[in-house]
Amino acid sequence: MKTSPGLDHHLLSSLMNCMLYSWGIGFAVSLVLMGLVFMSTNAHAEINDELVLDKVTSLSDLQSGQLAFRAEKGHYLVSPKLNTEVDIEVNGLLARVTVSQTFTNPSSLWQEGVYVFPLPETAAVDHLRMKIGERIIEGDIKPKTQAKKIYQQAKNEGKQASLIEQQRPNMFTTSVANIAPNDSITVVIEYQQMVSQNANKFSLRFPMAITPRYIPGVPIDNTEEISHFSGEGWAVNTDQVPDASHITPPILLTDSDTSNRANLSILLAAGFALGQVNSSYHQIEEVIVNDNTRKIRLINDVPANRDFELVWQANDQQAPQAALFKQYKNGEDYALLMITPPNKLNIDSISRELIFIIDTSGSMDGTSMKQAKTALHYGLTQLRPQDSFNIIRFSDDLDSLFKQAKVASRINLDTAHDYVNWLRADGGTEMAPALERALQANQVNEGLRQVVFLTDGSVGNEDELFSIIERNLGKSRLFTVGIGSAPNSHFMQRAALFGRGSHSYIGSEDEVRQKMQSLFNKLSHPVLTDIKLDIAADSVVEMWPKVVADLYLGEPLLLTLKSATLPDEIIINGVYGNQPWQKKVALQGGGQSEAVSVLWARRKISGLMDEYRRAGEESDLIKTDIVNIALAHHLVTKFTSLVAVDKTPVRPVSEKLNTQAIAINPPAGSVMTQFPQTATPATLQLLLSLILFLTGLLLRWRRA
Amino acid sequence: MKRRSVHYLSVVLLSVSIVLFMSGGYIHAKAQLAQWLIASAWSQVIDSNEQAKPWPWADTWPVARLEVPKYEIDQYVLAGTTGESLAFGPGYVFASAAPTEQGNTIIAAHRDTHFEFLQDVQQGDVITVHNAKGIQRDYIVQALSIVDKQDVAWLDNEAFSHQLTLVTCYPFNAISVGGRLRYVVRAVSMEEISA
Repeated sequence: MKTSPGLDHHLLSSLMNCMLYSWGIGFAVSLVLMGLVFMSTNAHAEINDELVLDKVTSLSDLQSGQLAFRAEKGHYLVSPKLNTEVDIEVNGLLARVTVSQTFTNPSSLWQEGVYVFPLPETAAVDHLRMKIGERIIEGDIKPKTQAKKIYQQAKNEGKQASLIEQQRPNMFTTSVANIAPNDSITVVIEYQQMVSQNANKFSLRFPMAITPRYIPGVPIDNTEEISHFSGEGWAVNTDQVPDASHITPPILLTDSDTSNRANLSILLAAGFALGQVNSSYHQIEEVIVNDNTRKIRLINDVPANRDFELVWQANDQQAPQAALFKQYKNGEDYALLMITPPNKLNIDSISRELIFIIDTSGSMDGTSMKQAKTALHYGLTQLRPQDSFNIIRFSDDLDSLFKQAKVASRINLDTAHDYVNWLRADGGTEMAPALERALQANQVNEGLRQVVFLTDGSVGNEDELFSIIERNLGKSRLFTVGIGSAPNSHFMQRAALFGRGSHSYIGSEDEVRQKMQSLFNKLSHPVLTDIKLDIAADSVVEMWPKVVADLYLGEPLLLTLKSATLPDEIIINGVYGNQPWQKKVALQGGGQSEAVSVLWARRKISGLMDEYRRAGEESDLIKTDIVNIALAHHLVTKFTSLVAVDKTPVRPVSEKLNTQAIAINPPAGSVMTQFPQTATPATLQLLLSLILFLTGLLLRWRRA
Repeated sequence: MKRRSVHYLSVVLLSVSIVLFMSGGYIHAKAQLAQWLIASAWSQVIDSNEQAKPWPWADTWPVARLEVPKYEIDQYVLAGTTGESLAFGPGYVFASAAPTEQGNTIIAAHRDTHFEFLQDVQQGDVITVHNAKGIQRDYIVQALSIVDKQDVAWLDNEAFSHQLTLVTCYPFNAISVGGRLRYVVRAVSMEEISA
């Protein structure tokens, strides 16, 4: 090195310059690339937001990669539009809802529209009519596969047809085949529903949480469709459905006149003098018909993107204590009976033992753990001095705050808050020992024993856990609180059912307070339990649900009965706050309603569906039962669908039919609220590492 | 003085880069190595027909084996799709139908580790799933789609046929985490296609 310092120096500096330039260029390039990548992912992220709406005034403005394959071939599908008209007639406790969905096809091609929409979980969908111009075609109830075949055949023959299917108890699809170019078809669906009642408030909800987006191509759960479409030029692309929202905004929302809209009107005949009537989320106008009756409508038709809820109360704060509706149909009597259980007695004086179980397994890590801890802190503040309590935490091991439940003194509560602060999520989910421990522990006092279980329920051995709960329950009651965005809802519901408590979900930090508040309201009021019906021996009554669940604060007792001849009187027995409770009800008078048999059938089907899920191998018999009841009462179920077909073909078979699906967000409470996160930061970390490494190296070089 | 600060800066940058490299590498190493441990837990599951954990403090256990010979894929599917289980292998979505049974079975995994191969999957490819009872089912890929992460209508579990849905993040080469899009591969049991 020392022999030719000049040369060495020169070589070194030129090498360094070379490095500097190449590094500089490399850095710039990678920065630009990174920027591009970030921008492209951001663009993806924003497509769904409103931001993009004013940007995209025409389809050609959309330049993102997802639409490229469409642009290349010059195929834009102009999707059918949907307008919803809702008419609700409330008659006391019953609501008859008519939903008219008008599918408009603004394109010059024949189209099929597929629309997924939510309805209340208890909705009994029993009527379908298809309106084409002046003509009305009535829908028939058929077993699901048969209905689908009828629809498919009509579709292929170029006939106009519509099909209503149940996807989940609260999620339905409407399919409409062969909508002529620039024409429209109206599908009218009717369902029966009960008004919900909590304490003295009555309410009715119509879900319309519709994110207006389209899914062209393969509709949900429709495998034939795929083979039908493949190999038809662009149709192959339809299978690769890009996120529907990429296509939606330009068509739907650039012009407010053309977006999916809904209008809603209600005839509210409460059956008692009305006090306040409020709409929770929309502006309404009211016309007072008489003391008991009002006409309500939305001030404007609204974009169908928010649930509608109407809440009403009796004028004198004294809601009716009971209601009876009857129907005579095909030689049989049906009855719907509502009774408000007592809710005056307060158990402030009664002591209770409250056991919290908190899941601290690895799956709870992150926001779930945070929510669970906030909920637990809140729960501790709700304890009264005469209560005793304990906290059990478990992962693959378990321990507890105290050996045995202790009184809720200031000192004990402080210790508890500290204990909660220290909880960390890690390890496996061994739920069984924790449940056994909580349910088997000796009770320290005489009062109620309530177990509040905070978990995401990510376990695979549910059945084993259910039998543990059933075996060990004793006097305790189990309340499950599902934590996180996708708790195992099957576990939450069934565990609470076996535990004779109730279940609730906390989906976000903001909800903790409200959800825990309503849970503690239930916990601190007496429960109506062991509800049994006493009926004169000579009459046979079929009641659904077969076993009446315990009733917590504000929940009304609802019975649906069927009999060849209804008894004159029934006696309802129960236990309310440790005291026997009895109510004699004369089944005389009452309102007549066509809805009663439908509601009875709907509840029977719900009950049978539970049995069907439990039955496993022998489920076919129950399925047959469900189908028979559904067919007799014209009801849409998991196994039956409504289908309407026009007799005359309208589409020349030579012309192609395009399928367009219109999808909306599934309502909260469905099995999953979103797909899991499926990317790691590995690439980003490796890239950053490389950049930092090169920068560091360069600095050292320059120094040298 | 200036030299010194440059020196420190370079040292800091180099160390941070090493940490990042190790952390990024760890994610990939974990994804690969865990599958080995899971493999032995799996043979235990097959033999004893009981849940077996790949390591004592694991919060998950293998529920199925996923094979795609065309892409030389042989992976063990773990129960649940929490961040913890997805780091080690593809995760089975609890809410979906049990592997190989009737309904729609949903399996999710990271796009840059276990499900990187999904970007090459084409219609007609065969995917084999084995469940813990040793039952095997071949599925044929029917559709590839890109959906919004909230568009869970795609997860429909009421299907009467035997379906398999593989889900991963999209786009595949994105650098940032937490995008809205998911890549969905839908496959239907071979028996039902030929029937």
